[in-house]
Amino acid sequence: MIDVKHISKDFVSPKKYPGLSGAIKGLFSREKVIKNAVNDISFHIDKGEIVGYIGSNGAGKSTTIKMMTGILNPTSGECIANGINPSKDRKANAKNIGVVFGQRTQLWWDLPLNESFTILKEIYNVSDEDYTERMKFLNEVLDLEEFMDRPVRTLSLGQRMRGDLGAALLHNPKVLYLDEPTIGLDLVVKDNIRKAIKKINEMYETTIILTTHDIGDIEELCNRIIIIDKGRKIYDGSLEKLKDIYGSKRKISIEVKPDDSLRTFSLSSKLNISPEECITEYDEKSYTLHVTFDKHQIQTPDILSAIMEMADVKDVVIQETDLAEIVKEIYVTVQAGLAHSAVQDRKRN
Amino acid sequence: MNTLKRYLRLYRVLVSQFLKTIMQSKVDFLMGLLGFFFTQIMGIAFLYLVFEQIPSLQGWSLNQLIFIYGFAQIPRGIDHLFTDNIWMIAWRIVINGDFDRYMLRPMNLFFQVIAEKLQPDALGELLVGTLLLIYSLSKGIVIVDALHIGLFLVSIFAGAIIYTSIKLFFASIAFWVKISGPFLQVAYEMADFAKYPTEIYARAIRFIITWIIPFAFVAYLPASFFLKETVSGWIIGIECLIALVFWCIAYALFKKGTSIYESAGN
Repeated sequence: MIDVKHISKDFVSPKKYPGLSGAIKGLFSREKVIKNAVNDISFHIDKGEIVGYIGSNGAGKSTTIKMMTGILNPTSGECIANGINPSKDRKANAKNIGVVFGQRTQLWWDLPLNESFTILKEIYNVSDEDYTERMKFLNEVLDLEEFMDRPVRTLSLGQRMRGDLGAALLHNPKVLYLDEPTIGLDLVVKDNIRKAIKKINEMYETTIILTTHDIGDIEELCNRIIIIDKGRKIYDGSLEKLKDIYGSKRKISIEVKPDDSLRTFSLSSKLNISPEECITEYDEKSYTLHVTFDKHQIQTPDILSAIMEMADVKDVVIQETDLAEIVKEIYVTVQAGLAHSAVQDRKRN
Repeated sequence: MNTLKRYLRLYRVLVSQFLKTIMQSKVDFLMGLLGFFFTQIMGIAFLYLVFEQIPSLQGWSLNQLIFIYGFAQIPRGIDHLFTDNIWMIAWRIVINGDFDRYMLRPMNLFFQVIAEKLQPDALGELLVGTLLLIYSLSKGIVIVDALHIGLFLVSIFAGAIIYTSIKLFFASIAFWVKISGPFLQVAYEMADFAKYPTEIYARAIRFIITWIIPFAFVAYLPASFFLKETVSGWIIGIECLIALVFWCIAYALFKKGTSIYESAGN
């Protein structure tokens, strides 16, 4: 369906120097700064997949999406979507895709929302029957009716986003690109948007690629995630696998009756394991023990029974590490890894 | 043929949306219209005062000057009316990344740029141009027959293309330098020279507006064919050739520019 092959993008800009004298110097200097935004990324996406494309700010997410949609031409490598190379045949590719940029609307700002749909019907050559059927479906999942006749500029962010999503789907695209579709929305609207995206994927088998900073989007929607950092792909696989590899840490918080002996309590010595594998902290203010451990090493019931022997337990909360923490951890390990290999490179030289 | 039909249909749809947009705010629209009429009346009054002081200029009579001036307004007005949105490439839509929107739609990029807007102000130029032409025609200084009317229409069309090409050329530089408005401004202001006989200018300026940024070919040179028997009709042919060459260069630059377009970060 979509094949991204060794795609890279460099941005070249003239070198800038600080200060006024620097600005003048910059005018005459021919030095260039090359920013490597995307570096040799490859992946394959099948029809009907929902793929989360994540990374920190400036990691190269939007740049990749822009290359896949035909806005930018890659510096090297290529992308083939439905047999079409977007940078060679932009118009043909544009017919197959729908795009929503969370921070930039594609609707006609000063016109009522329904006018935007009328124009898009013409642009994408949607037949009258298809139009009626599609509008009925979009109304069902996105509730567009209530603000259809209001100018786009008067819509709330949530309404505008629903409008944008509807507009991107009117021509039943094979691939839907969503760049931060839930940014700035409240929880209820976020939830509705996610449900709508899911339904569209089920109904029409639309392939969906979304970038987001919202871990909720990923947990709710994506069966696969790709993580990039500094322009390189650092993870590609299922959410479960990711959690399995990186998210084996668990945390239990146990509220107990006040007891001074807990201050010096060490769970690791009681369970006969090394202290790194099981970290215990006692919060004296709230009388709570926080235990962080690796679920592959120790079983939760072992910990609970050990503590219950010691103290009167009032409440127990078990937390699974959330994805945000996992992603943070990956960034840290990858960066450490890069630094490590850089050091090795230097040694070799 | 089908493609042409489709684009004509799309043009109608997009332009009617634009008209709806400007009419959404009725007060603004009426005020704009009123202001536009005042500007035009002032413009005509100013012209009258200027021309009253100049009985003749380098061998051109007042009526002939009025013909040249009016002739210059028409291709400029046509270009202004239909392709004014090209200015936005030079000033805004490349640097702020709004050009993305065009890249995502299955339509020709140049078409999308010009179909987004009509410039109603241009109606003033067209109106003034036509009035001045009618006035000078009534003085019997030009031959009116089928051949001359035909050549006149061809010349106006070619002149408008030259205007559009020059605008597109300088606006497309924005794909490399992000904002090319100042360059376009300078080039476009040269067009004001075309309203008068080029003999009145210094040699350097005459050279520039004839051979580098050929505004002399959109008004003064073809107008002299209609006014003076000594100038051959081939001047219109040369004008068409210049229009074709400039259009090809400008469009090629625009195409190249869109291929290196860098968008903007969020």
